[in-house]
Amino acid sequence: MLTIEVQKLSKTYSGRQVLKDIDFKVQSGEVFVLVGPNGAGKTTLLRILDLLEEPTEGRILFNETPVDYSAKDKVALRRRIGMLFQQTKLFDMSVSDNIAYGLKVRGEDKVTIEGKVRETLKLVQLQGYERKNALTLSGGEAQRVSLAQALVTEPELLLLDEPTANLDPRNISIIEEVLTNINREKRTTIIMATHNMFQAENLAHRVAMINNGKIEGVGTFQEIFGRPSEPVKNFVKFENVFSGLSTAFTEGTSIIDIGDRLKIEAAFKKSGYVMIHIPPEDIILSSQPIVSSARNMFEGRITQILETESAVKLKVKVGESKNFTVQVTKKSFKDLQLSIGTRIFLVFKASSVQII
Amino acid sequence: MMCEKMFENTFLEEILNITLLSLKVSGTAVLIGAIIGIPIGTALGFGWFKGKMMLTRIIDLTLKSIVNTFMGLPPVVVGLVVYLLLTTSGPLGPLGLLYTPTAMIITQLIMAVPIVTGVTMSAIGSVEKTVRERALSLGATDRQAAWTVLREARTGILTAVIVAFGAAISEVGGIMIAGGNIRWVTRTLTTAIVVETNLGNFDLAITLGIILLSIAFIINLALTIIQFRGQKR
Amino acid sequence: MEFPKTTIAAVIIGIAIIGGIAYEHYLSSQKPIIVLATTTSVYDSGMLDYLIPKFENKHHAEVHVISVGTGQAIEIGRRGDADIVLVHSKNLELSFVNSTYGIHRIGVFYNDFIIVGPASDPAGIKNLTNSTEAFRRICERGFRGDATFVSRADKSGTNMFELKIWSMLGITPSNKTYAWYIEAGTGMGSVLRISNEKGSYTLTDRSTWLSFKRQLKDMDILVQDDKILTNPYAIILVNPEKYPNRNYKGALALAKFMISNEGQELIANYKKNGEMLFKPLARKIELARELGFPDQSNELAWYDKQKP
Repeated sequence: MLTIEVQKLSKTYSGRQVLKDIDFKVQSGEVFVLVGPNGAGKTTLLRILDLLEEPTEGRILFNETPVDYSAKDKVALRRRIGMLFQQTKLFDMSVSDNIAYGLKVRGEDKVTIEGKVRETLKLVQLQGYERKNALTLSGGEAQRVSLAQALVTEPELLLLDEPTANLDPRNISIIEEVLTNINREKRTTIIMATHNMFQAENLAHRVAMINNGKIEGVGTFQEIFGRPSEPVKNFVKFENVFSGLSTAFTEGTSIIDIGDRLKIEAAFKKSGYVMIHIPPEDIILSSQPIVSSARNMFEGRITQILETESAVKLKVKVGESKNFTVQVTKKSFKDLQLSIGTRIFLVFKASSVQII
Repeated sequence: MMCEKMFENTFLEEILNITLLSLKVSGTAVLIGAIIGIPIGTALGFGWFKGKMMLTRIIDLTLKSIVNTFMGLPPVVVGLVVYLLLTTSGPLGPLGLLYTPTAMIITQLIMAVPIVTGVTMSAIGSVEKTVRERALSLGATDRQAAWTVLREARTGILTAVIVAFGAAISEVGGIMIAGGNIRWVTRTLTTAIVVETNLGNFDLAITLGIILLSIAFIINLALTIIQFRGQKR
Repeated sequence: MEFPKTTIAAVIIGIAIIGGIAYEHYLSSQKPIIVLATTTSVYDSGMLDYLIPKFENKHHAEVHVISVGTGQAIEIGRRGDADIVLVHSKNLELSFVNSTYGIHRIGVFYNDFIIVGPASDPAGIKNLTNSTEAFRRICERGFRGDATFVSRADKSGTNMFELKIWSMLGITPSNKTYAWYIEAGTGMGSVLRISNEKGSYTLTDRSTWLSFKRQLKDMDILVQDDKILTNPYAIILVNPEKYPNRNYKGALALAKFMISNEGQELIANYKKNGEMLFKPLARKIELARELGFPDQSNELAWYDKQKP
């Protein structure tokens, strides 16, 4: 199995620094989770670990050996790694052929391929999908095929970039179960980027907080989020996470009562107690009530303003005790002339409400 | 009675000859065009000329500009250039190709290559990055990844060939100049329609027009089916 | 990774087709080809489609006819892209021969030009026998907005002849300056149809007129039988000293066939709606001299002397 060490790694794209002095070590068999806001550099880091890109500075060591970027070594090393991208891109062929791809390029024989494909399909619970064209699958199924593609070659290291983003709970739980199993049974090392805090808590042996291309803390979930440092608290911790009783309607929507007489309409259909999340960048601010197709509009008061390099984060208090985090661009922050205490309307679509 | 019969036969025979010649000339031009254009389009789509060096960048940009300019090349201009090249006193005169089907194939080839190249280029360009990275990340070598990209771009490449054929078979100005519109030899559907209209033989012109329309329709039908399949997936 | 079998198949088929075409080209080049550049007025009459197969059968040769305006036909000959030209414009013919690119110009047949126009005849030229006067009236009426004239405007023999009549009146007509003068830039058949649609006058050779007559419901012959309207056609060989690779022998054979008694008779027998389209000229020395072929007897003797 693989141990991975990243030393003083930086990445610059035409003058813009995306990653700065990244240092960490992942033990063989460990599940290492990267958390942080969008644009923090998680995807770039994973791409560098998959050898799709080279670092501008610093180096990576697999099993104590620094990576050699000559073409032959890259292929050999990559064949020990499996990667799952956030945006699934399956090939225009059958599900079986998609999954068999990694084995075929490694020159495996037909019988081995057939057996392994069957086994992996079972693992991701897609038996019976063999002959379907992969491009006809739903998002969740496609992501599971993608996972199967990566797993069929039994990688020593599995890299996952937001593997369950935008998926429904059933697909999320299948994927999480697979990940737990292969880590437990095959001792596969996993490095995963996620938004989903519960996923981080459930799966991670250790968590690394990434923000603005820098690691701001590494440790167990408890160490990072139990006693959070200031930036961690401000950016990640349970932003826009609410819970309450959900009532499903036949049109395919649900109303969640999150208390304080606030009812949020969501585009999923689920009754009972749920936990939901609204991405801060999905919320629109308006100084007046607006007519729009968005199903949710609440009035609140700005309690906190935090300017980051690329955007402005606002805490808006709605009702007695509900705090929303909203992310706006610097320009619209200026245009709306916002300050602490300003009364403001929050607007977001039912489809922006995610269940967690 | 005998005479009428004979007339019927030559009439049909001529239509058949004209149709087959059209298909042969455009088919050959597009086939050779595909053999030349697909590799160039592939190379450009993959950005193989897009090195770090200034020179390779200039080559890449120049090639792309040439392709884009030539994609909209007026057929009559191509015909004129081919004529000037093949005319007896021209540089390629000794080959004796003027007013032959070969001259028409050359004319349509010059039009087909940029179309095939351009459409192939964009078909590959649109899937190149995602497919290649996925293939590499699944353990493919660079060569295997390139094959996979080609495979994924196959609908686009097929579209390129069909579009080029459609343009070729309906082209008239270029082959008129280079082919000379000689009856039984270089008269195609389009040039025959011109001549028969000039002669006032509207019956024949319309018959030929319907044949040309049918071919165009079949081409578009094939294209629609291919694209529909692409969308469904 | 597997090489897609279909790709290999496509390449093989491609090579086979190219090879096939090359082979076919090789086969067809076994038969000597004679390239004849001629005018649309001859080609569109259908006379060549009647005459040439008879020559081809007899001489085991293939004649490729390029049908364009006289100006272009002569230019094709001058560039060495044809073996023989069959045209009708004295001035262009003479300059072709003077440049030594063309040799042995000989009159072969003739027809005549006629002025046709709307049956209503707004310029009042019907039954005139003086074509210059007819043109003057069309011009005059044209300026008043009552008449229009469609010109070939393609440097064809007909067009050159038309311009000669205008120049005798001291007029250089153009679409740009005269609204009544329409420059079509196309073949005789098209010009006749345009004239029919627009109710315009035009100058045409009689054979094309006869071929199209049925389609031209609103038009009539208005002026004919003026001596200057005679329209003789000439054969000119492309000089083999300029282009040794051209099929001079074939060209000579074709010329000899057309001016032979047999050829002349065949031409005289080609009729449409019972009317003769082209009248034999090659062996009528006196008439030929009158129509601008002073060397007709010498040339005829020369051709007759050449071995087939």
